[in-house]
Amino acid sequence: MTRLRLDRVASQLLAATTSPAARLSRPSSISRSIPQTCRHASLFNTQPCQRRHQSTAASQAPLEEELVLEPQDGEPTPEALRGGPLPSPHPSRAASSAKLAALHARLSLSSKIPVETLARALVDPSADAHPKYNNANLAYVGSTVLHYYASESLIARYPRLPMSILFTAMKGYAGNPALHQVARAWGVESAAAPGEEVDPGLLQFDPMKPTVVMNKWGYVRAETVESQKFKSGKGLSGRVVYGSNPFGESSAAKALPNFEVDDGRNTKTMLLQNAPANAHANFVRAVIGAVHMHCGRDASKNFVKSHFLSRTLDLSNLFEFELPTRELARLCARENFEAPVARLESETGRLSRTPVFVVGIYSGRDKLGEAPGPDLDSARVAASINALKAWYLYSPGQVGVPSDTFAEDAAPWKPAYVDIGEIIS
Amino acid sequence: MEARPVLRQLTTLFNSCSRTGQTRLQSSTRRTKKALKLPPHPAAPSVYHTPFKFLPPSDPRRQAQLSSLLRSSTGLAPTAAATNSTTPAEREVPALGEKHQVPVPKFNVTREQVAEMRALRAADPTKWSVVRLAEKFECSKLFVMICCKASAEHQARERERKEAIKARWGPIRSQAREDRKKRRTLLLRGEL
Repeated sequence: MTRLRLDRVASQLLAATTSPAARLSRPSSISRSIPQTCRHASLFNTQPCQRRHQSTAASQAPLEEELVLEPQDGEPTPEALRGGPLPSPHPSRAASSAKLAALHARLSLSSKIPVETLARALVDPSADAHPKYNNANLAYVGSTVLHYYASESLIARYPRLPMSILFTAMKGYAGNPALHQVARAWGVESAAAPGEEVDPGLLQFDPMKPTVVMNKWGYVRAETVESQKFKSGKGLSGRVVYGSNPFGESSAAKALPNFEVDDGRNTKTMLLQNAPANAHANFVRAVIGAVHMHCGRDASKNFVKSHFLSRTLDLSNLFEFELPTRELARLCARENFEAPVARLESETGRLSRTPVFVVGIYSGRDKLGEAPGPDLDSARVAASINALKAWYLYSPGQVGVPSDTFAEDAAPWKPAYVDIGEIIS
Repeated sequence: MEARPVLRQLTTLFNSCSRTGQTRLQSSTRRTKKALKLPPHPAAPSVYHTPFKFLPPSDPRRQAQLSSLLRSSTGLAPTAAATNSTTPAEREVPALGEKHQVPVPKFNVTREQVAEMRALRAADPTKWSVVRLAEKFECSKLFVMICCKASAEHQARERERKEAIKARWGPIRSQAREDRKKRRTLLLRGEL
């Protein structure tokens, strides 16, 4: 099997814009003179309504060709030619923005990443629908990079996590709320309203306009729409099969911003829930994408590790059990351990108002878990929960991840331990 | 310095005189709640510490803990709970009663007995209740409920009886039941 070339992936997305000098030398009025309807059409092409979602820029290619062929002779003023102000600040203003330079320095970004790219990362598709001037493409690259590193580190570090916990943990590391927090910690401020005149160092988005929800995989299964219509596929297996994003949510109907719908019943699910969080998260993903495109695979891995995977997420708080004692008994039967027995380790104040019992769960002569409780039964349930958490949260320690073998002189990959699956009780 | 306690007594006297009804004391609610809010004990075992039995065969810690390996395989050494006690009798931790253990299925009911169970339940569901059938055939109540299904009239009668019992409950008992449900939810979420 050939190696995945992560550094080559999606290199076509930035082909036209990686060299800022070339981009700046282009007369900006050409691409900016698209009529409004045409630009909205281009925006809707980037939405996930297409079944097989390929890279967003690839679908834009015909439009770009058409734009370049527009007449550029004559010498009218740029404002007259484009017929109004720009939707987002001109890229040439990026070099003179103090906020952008400060952000660039604060994140310790490499000098290979031009401030113009950082300025582009701050423009949400809702502010500027043109795919060459917003961050949709960069954010798509960044989200795939982030999801890849987050999922491989989670599975290698915690090989026994149940699927639902894995989905939630992915959301905790790479979901919109977490990335929103990261963006705020980076000190990114948002502009009151997008426009030509705002500082390029401010995040520009419009909560009232359609935008791109950046959490999908490559394509959406064709059955997803049907299953959403009939409210099926809501269980965990349905989330695994039909879930089109790494968090196990099927975003087909939810993220489809069908703004022509006049049925008030559907608007709540059709509209984006938290536009500022989505815009901030897309900015963060776009920065990851920019690091990946300009500095390479190793730099993006380090960036993801230091800014996202280093965040603390207490996985033991994510669990909720239904029948923990039975689940533990099923686990012991599956693994050929002796059946679990609840034993009373110690107790105090049995006849008082607030007794405390410490119950331990034993399998044979080994203790699996213990917990205190106000009565024997709750202590036993809590001890079973602790034992199950100890099983699910097993970690082999600092182990290698598959992306370590991308290096040229890397040792061959040794298969990591991954559990056979969760316990069915 | 001497004036402060006197002043406080005076103010409490004034307050109790001015308000005729009960006064809600801060010491009885806030402080009790605060006293009951205990952090987990620092010596409580962490769930991130995997028990020896849960380590997969590939884990190097399995080989490192030779004492645990020996104890687990031979079964001669004492339990892990009380390592500092002296005699083996003291080290044995008493098991909880049968009703606090996960029931082990016995698989002792034959096909003919199941038919008999169904016939009894269909003939007189009041006399042959689930509990009585479970006692008679020495199986669990769950197994009886899997085997037999009572008639719709009997189910309706039982439901009415339960509703009548619930109707007799006052606000305190209903509230206590709801609180118990909430505590159960919190317990299963690990928040209690």
